[in-house]
Amino acid sequence: MNISKEKKGDILILTIEEKEANLSKSEHFKEMVLSEIAEGETKLIISFEKVEYLDSSFLGALVAILKNLLPLNGTLRITGLNADIKNLFELTRLDKIFILKDNLETALQDFK
Amino acid sequence: MNKTILLVDDDMFQLKLYEKLLQNNGYSCRIALSVDEAEAILLNNEIPDLIISDYEMPDKNGFEFRKRLLKNDLLKNVPFLFLTSVNDEHFIQQGLDLKAIDYMAKDIPPARILSKINNLMLAVREHYERSLSEVKGIAEKLNLRNIPKKAPELKNFSISYFNQSYQYQPGGDFIDFIQINDRYTFVILGDVMGKKWGAWFFSFSFLSYIRSAIRLCVFDETFSLPIILHKLNRVIYADEFLSDIFSTLSIVLIDDEEATLCYSGAGDLPVLKYEAGTTEIAAYQSTGILLGFSEKVFYDDINIDLQPGEEMYLISDGMIDFEIDGEKKSDINLFKQKLRDLKLRNEPTEHIVTKLFNKHTSQIDDCSIIIIKRKKDEYQ
Repeated sequence: MNISKEKKGDILILTIEEKEANLSKSEHFKEMVLSEIAEGETKLIISFEKVEYLDSSFLGALVAILKNLLPLNGTLRITGLNADIKNLFELTRLDKIFILKDNLETALQDFK
Repeated sequence: MNKTILLVDDDMFQLKLYEKLLQNNGYSCRIALSVDEAEAILLNNEIPDLIISDYEMPDKNGFEFRKRLLKNDLLKNVPFLFLTSVNDEHFIQQGLDLKAIDYMAKDIPPARILSKINNLMLAVREHYERSLSEVKGIAEKLNLRNIPKKAPELKNFSISYFNQSYQYQPGGDFIDFIQINDRYTFVILGDVMGKKWGAWFFSFSFLSYIRSAIRLCVFDETFSLPIILHKLNRVIYADEFLSDIFSTLSIVLIDDEEATLCYSGAGDLPVLKYEAGTTEIAAYQSTGILLGFSEKVFYDDINIDLQPGEEMYLISDGMIDFEIDGEKKSDINLFKQKLRDLKLRNEPTEHIVTKLFNKHTSQIDDCSIIIIKRKKDEYQ
């Protein structure tokens, strides 16, 4: 799966470079982010600005990442959700679990 | 959904020729001019249903490609064909020894190549369905069922339900009806996050916990949904086996004596209600988050007033996920609109599935709906 990585200070920004985030990519995504966390990355931003559709496998991977991050006092910001995906987060209370930000700038400000 | 074939050949003319042949016969194609390009596609996209590769290509040849695929657990079982003009007997044997299903010469007429591919895809499908049927048979024998055979008969309510798998594979949706006595029945709809076999497998773990939590609470004369969900969530959270697996849950307690309904949920989609005499579909959203994410979660419950003739609906996310003209999206409003249209035409709600999915709007996940209807005559 295509993910671009960028480091700004101690913040790791991961951008999903796919239109569709689904089952075939979720396991690879989870393993990749968990290995970043294992290597000490605890301040993460995951950007979905390129993503048009997110399936429940990928959502499950995202929840698992956050569950692994919280005991380490880590922080995760989700940015760039389109209106449909944001609505799905709100309908299923995922917006109570994740901190959603409209764009990268506002997500970065959260770490200041 | 069309079967996808990955074509690998360093000759663009040949690639385009076979791509057209296959597309005209209902297949989707991805094309690659080299092994590296093919591997980039495989890394970035969904696994194809078949790979067809040339032998002679610059850098890595078809045999090297096949050997690399055989080392990859995700890709080694994807059916593989050689289609090449290198037809020396020694090469054919070497290709077949690499677990290729066939080694076809490019001078075979295209119609025959197509027939071979069609037959192969049919054989793969039949083999898969046979295996699936065997697993389902074993699950039946062990009484492992995540969708019940029938709904309970109640005095004041009728319950119907529907579950449709996706691409003939079981999924994470599960349904259960737990009838405690003539008065109380619990209606359960859950969805393990994920798809296909993995989600199906874990649905049994969640179902067992849900059944146990309800029975144990009822033994203590506790019918409070928030208390049941709280205990259920704690035990799931403590289970290391389920530490990275999450499930949604919609739960409704029917009191058939008082003709009342109480709903609570965990990370589920809102339950919907059709109110007689209106054109609106009302939505009721609980506060609970996904089972297993956090140890301490506040769950609420909502009493839903269902008058005679009115209906409420519990749905899984597959009911609101669509593919329209090649674009996938989650759209609860489209579902509500289809439901409203159906009710306004006085059609049975059970028709919703045929109205939802058609040649323009495809299903993309397993989907489930439970319909609870208040009977018109209380003594019916």
